[in-house]
Amino acid sequence: MSAPDPCPHCGAAPASALVCEACGELLEARRPPGPFEVFGLEPAFELDLAALQKRRLALARRLHPDFHGTADAETRRLAEDSSASLNQAHATLADEFRRADWLVKQLGGPREEDERGMPTAFLQEVLEWNEQIAEARAGGASADLEVLRRTLEEERARARAALRGELVPLSDEAARLRRARQHLNSLRYLERTLRELGELGLAHRTP
Amino acid sequence: MPFLELDVLNAPDRSILGIDLGTTYSLVALWRDGRPTILRPRGRDDGRIPSALHFPASGAPLVGWPARERAAVEPGRALLSVKRLMGRGLSDARADLAGVPFAASENERGVIQLEAGGRRYTPQELSARILEEVWRVASEALGEAAPRRAVITVPAYFDEPQRAATRDAARLAGLDVVRIVNEPTAASLAYGLERLKQGTVAVYDFGGGTFDVSLLAIEDGVFRVLATAGDTHLGGDDLDRALVALALEEARPGPELAGDPAFLQGLRLAAERCKLQLTSAPEAELRLAVPERGFPWKRSVTREEFERRIAVHLERTLDCCRRALHDANLTPGAIDEVVLVGGSTRIPAVRTAVERLFGRKPHCELNPDEVVALGAAVQGHVLGGGTRELLLLDVTPLSLGLETMGGAVSKIITRNAPIPSQATETFTTYADNQTGIEFHVVQGERELAADCRTLGRFKLAGIPPLPAGMARVAVRFALDADGLLAVTAKEQSTGASASIEIQPMHGLTDSEIEGMLASSLANARADFDASRRANLLVELGTMQRAIEKNLPLARERLDRESRLELEEALAGARGAESVAAVAAVQKLRDRLEQAALPLAALLMDDVARGALKGKNLSEV
Repeated sequence: MSAPDPCPHCGAAPASALVCEACGELLEARRPPGPFEVFGLEPAFELDLAALQKRRLALARRLHPDFHGTADAETRRLAEDSSASLNQAHATLADEFRRADWLVKQLGGPREEDERGMPTAFLQEVLEWNEQIAEARAGGASADLEVLRRTLEEERARARAALRGELVPLSDEAARLRRARQHLNSLRYLERTLRELGELGLAHRTP
Repeated sequence: MPFLELDVLNAPDRSILGIDLGTTYSLVALWRDGRPTILRPRGRDDGRIPSALHFPASGAPLVGWPARERAAVEPGRALLSVKRLMGRGLSDARADLAGVPFAASENERGVIQLEAGGRRYTPQELSARILEEVWRVASEALGEAAPRRAVITVPAYFDEPQRAATRDAARLAGLDVVRIVNEPTAASLAYGLERLKQGTVAVYDFGGGTFDVSLLAIEDGVFRVLATAGDTHLGGDDLDRALVALALEEARPGPELAGDPAFLQGLRLAAERCKLQLTSAPEAELRLAVPERGFPWKRSVTREEFERRIAVHLERTLDCCRRALHDANLTPGAIDEVVLVGGSTRIPAVRTAVERLFGRKPHCELNPDEVVALGAAVQGHVLGGGTRELLLLDVTPLSLGLETMGGAVSKIITRNAPIPSQATETFTTYADNQTGIEFHVVQGERELAADCRTLGRFKLAGIPPLPAGMARVAVRFALDADGLLAVTAKEQSTGASASIEIQPMHGLTDSEIEGMLASSLANARADFDASRRANLLVELGTMQRAIEKNLPLARERLDRESRLELEEALAGARGAESVAAVAAVQKLRDRLEQAALPLAALLMDDVARGALKGKNLSEV
């Protein structure tokens, strides 16, 4: 990450690409800043989420259009744009999946659509799980669903640990990025299936 | 983006009104002396201003209380909930239009037009009339011209066209909308819940015509909306209708009477009265009286029976709560505070149901009718630069996207994304040498564009002729802090760019608004005077009838001077119809109000002494 330009208003070195917290002036970015630049953080997979949230609120207090309501039109536009960038950056970083997805792409790894591969063993299990869900939909017992849910949650924990293994420490080694992408693909499937299960369960409980 | 002018030389008034533009009632509040205060209509002890319009056979429309009073007698000329038509087309508003006694049509961009009082009105113009009345009430309460800048609240579930229509109505009423805020969010501001270091709040808003629930996270003074759910067609009116249905089932008024709008209106009011009494009494009377048709009917309704009849509606509100909890990935036990908003939350069964769902006693210390306007005034205080202590981070209630090939929707900004929000998606051409792309902007959660709400369509022309799939068109969605959308498109491969303005569907274009403003400016003074005079005459009539009815009870006990003054003021009021000048009519009204004070004092003493047993103050 390149060092940020000094603040044109007071000369301080701003931590965030969006606002100089020394003088409170909003900064006009030359190009859209990445999510880590918005927060003034070094790119990393592991993040302290509580600290991220605190930081987000502190920045929101500087950037939100509510606090620039009486400023000139240009500043008000900047406040809208910067708040949107902050919201987007926070959404990317706060979510483990999206954060990993962004890092893999940023380091030159394969995109989701470029990497279709999943381990064969995993694929075989997927077919089996899908079958069980189809049965449950047709009116099967919800006790089986509970077992399946636990299996999937364990699988998700495994995929997460594996993903972390590839991204900590961060490196641009192609093989590691490719494996990280595969774990992301597995995670996407697992999340979606768990959500479906949740909805099925809800339908079972409420008449 | 709200337009807001800062005139440093003239030291602008930084105060900002908070307006709750409701379906059945509107309220206005202002931050004064360190807290938000409701600005009440003169002579009333609650702050509600009916969001009602009445179009007499000739002359200017009535607005507010006078309109509501006339509507009870002449429902065929009244419009009681124009908010339901805001930002909708004929086909979406069909059910709501069924109850509207005016011919409705639609212009080429799907804006409803109502034929009333000899001309056509868009819902935006009608809402503007209500906002003018709100502003007038505020000015009267303040004793000087009220601020022109305002925060206006909308249901959390309002989509983009509905928010845009609200903003346009305000512009037509001469107000600068500084911010559009979700009603439940405003309510939690009113309760000052920002003092919670960290917590989750549920705001349950059961009003006259709509139901909303919002779940908010509060952390170090920052409000964040986690999820919202609601039903735009569920409110206190539905509860009244449950009693109306009961009366129709049992009283069997016959087809002629059951089809008579005045009878139905009377029945609706009787049902509402019965409902209100059941809030404090275990049993109340549901009474129908049409003496001239020989149709007296009454029956006693117990609270238990009423609760059984409304249970299905309460369950629908709880379903919305469960949906919001599910969306936010929360259990009911995770909610730290529950806030009640809207008149319907006075009903004991509603409070019990809410308490049972969330497992804690809800907040109801503030008047549930006033909570939203009070919160809007708090937000006005923040926006006016009054404090930085409090920050509201809101979310968009519905996803925004574009129709793709095959009629599917590509979501660009998803539901519950914090606003302001911006996102860009790249599209390409599907035919060789295609030089234009047609975009269809939609809002909603459904998979197919046809099932979502159309916000607008636009065409990006001037794409250089390239093989299919080579052009790269970046479409950028920018949703501002009011939840209003701007879309721009840019062809990237050649750097050729074009920005477009959507022709708003169900909305007014800038030039239409300017046209309406220009014509209303030309007629503004005359319109305003005529409307004000009509309102005053109705008020005078109401006061006059009440005084004439009660004077015999106390005439002998009034001192001579007071009696003569009252009789003179009454004589003046009777001749008010022939007085043309607004100021003169206002004088007659003020004089009558003053002159009636000694009489009112006597009657109040009577009530206190129990001489008027069984009557309450509002009846004398």
